[in-house]
Amino acid sequence: MLEALQYPFMMRALVSGIFVAVLLGWLGTFVVTRKMSLIGDGIAHASLAGIALALLLGWAPIPVATILSMFIAAFIYFLEKKTKISSDMAIALMFTTGMAVGIILLHFYQGYQPELVSYLFGNILTINTYDLWNIVVIGTIILFLLFIFYRKILFSTFDPVGAYLSGIKPWIYDLILYVSTAVAIVLSIKLIGIILVSALLVTPSAIAKLFSKSFKHFTVLAIVISIIIIFIGLMLSYSLDLPSGAVIVLTGTSLFLVGYLITFVIKKIKDII
Amino acid sequence: MNQPVIVVKNLTYKFGDFVALDNVSFAIEQGDMTAIIGPNGSGKTTLLKNIIGVCEPTVGSVKIFGKQPHQVIKSIGYVPQKFEFDRDIPITVYEFMALEKCGKSKHGCANIHRALQEVGLNNIEKNKLGELSGGQFQRVMIAKALLHEKEILIFDEPSTGIDIVGEQTIYDLIKKINRDRGTTCLIVSHELNVVNKYANKVICLNKKMICSGIPETVITPENLKQLYGIGAGLYHTH
Repeated sequence: MLEALQYPFMMRALVSGIFVAVLLGWLGTFVVTRKMSLIGDGIAHASLAGIALALLLGWAPIPVATILSMFIAAFIYFLEKKTKISSDMAIALMFTTGMAVGIILLHFYQGYQPELVSYLFGNILTINTYDLWNIVVIGTIILFLLFIFYRKILFSTFDPVGAYLSGIKPWIYDLILYVSTAVAIVLSIKLIGIILVSALLVTPSAIAKLFSKSFKHFTVLAIVISIIIIFIGLMLSYSLDLPSGAVIVLTGTSLFLVGYLITFVIKKIKDII
Repeated sequence: MNQPVIVVKNLTYKFGDFVALDNVSFAIEQGDMTAIIGPNGSGKTTLLKNIIGVCEPTVGSVKIFGKQPHQVIKSIGYVPQKFEFDRDIPITVYEFMALEKCGKSKHGCANIHRALQEVGLNNIEKNKLGELSGGQFQRVMIAKALLHEKEILIFDEPSTGIDIVGEQTIYDLIKKINRDRGTTCLIVSHELNVVNKYANKVICLNKKMICSGIPETVITPENLKQLYGIGAGLYHTH
């Protein structure tokens, strides 16, 4: 299986995969804490509008989808905070609207669009050097923001009133989190696909939560598990010749089941002792 | 006479067409220990949210040290009635308390330990917040409010979920901070005997101001009947 690493496309997929694994693993801890796991799905699906628009105009799809996703994330935040619409309603509204716009735009596209299938389901073969650099540069900026504002983002996430009372403006850090999540999701689309990308935002945190004793531990573990899921998923995808997105997601689900089983057995043993 | 710290003037707050507070006015002076009493749904928590600036008055104003609440927000500690979070999130008591930084070096690990001890919690820093009992959690919230020596402390039913002994400890502690540090304290409470024992000023609220003043003169059968609608007296919930 490791001979796959001699191929440049596989190295590009792995490096970009590990980068998005760190991003989504870290962002996922905040997303899960806020009980807004659907945001990944919402933004990924809504970004179809940007991808369809770019394909129709002959532009690069990911940059267009990235910019659109930032506006979508800000708009979801606006709907949540300034109207009586709840978080899941706001996400569902943008999710379906973006998909609908994307489908109508694709209706005007003449002929078969093979690249579109890659965007929907993910394909490691489609990660080119340009995509890799996009992921590395933009991903580094997001990681830098997370590192600098970690405490304030966590404070605004966990205790918004307490954050406000300590002089923090929670809306700034909420927006940083929403926009960073949106951008990280879009950067991962080529690897995992629009349909499945949100799993990498939620599954590592769901596994890490089972074993963590503190939020710091939770964060580190979610990132490590995310990297493991991507690595095993990509390797299996290559050796079994199956779509990368689906294999990565199923790897995560399998690890979650194993993790859950381990905690269940440990609990039973403790009960007996 | 002390300078007013909190001045609420003609405050009306509406949720849509529903009037939650109707033309409420009062002043709280430096070092006061003020209790707000009133039945459920009388607007007590809404009043506190207007004071800390989370809600903006529909009509009227709230001034703290002569300024808008958001301009002096760092001077206020607040213990909410409810703190909703996913109890499965693995955040420790220490991590939760360390979220707020004030820049003073002494407000580190030792200070968190001391604040927790003050509310009767020992060796709990490494425990997960979601695994605490209701009473322990409420004490952590109070310890968090005490941590940074705020000039005003606001408690929304601080003894919720705490047993009788614990409740006494909490109110004694609040009174001690009020007395020793001169901290202005505002407490929402249902327990009239607690109000009588600890507060030096009472505000009776049922959307409108029903009465205000020192407990001995304000907590009368007539006022309580007007406030709660039935013959209420001194009682204890436990």
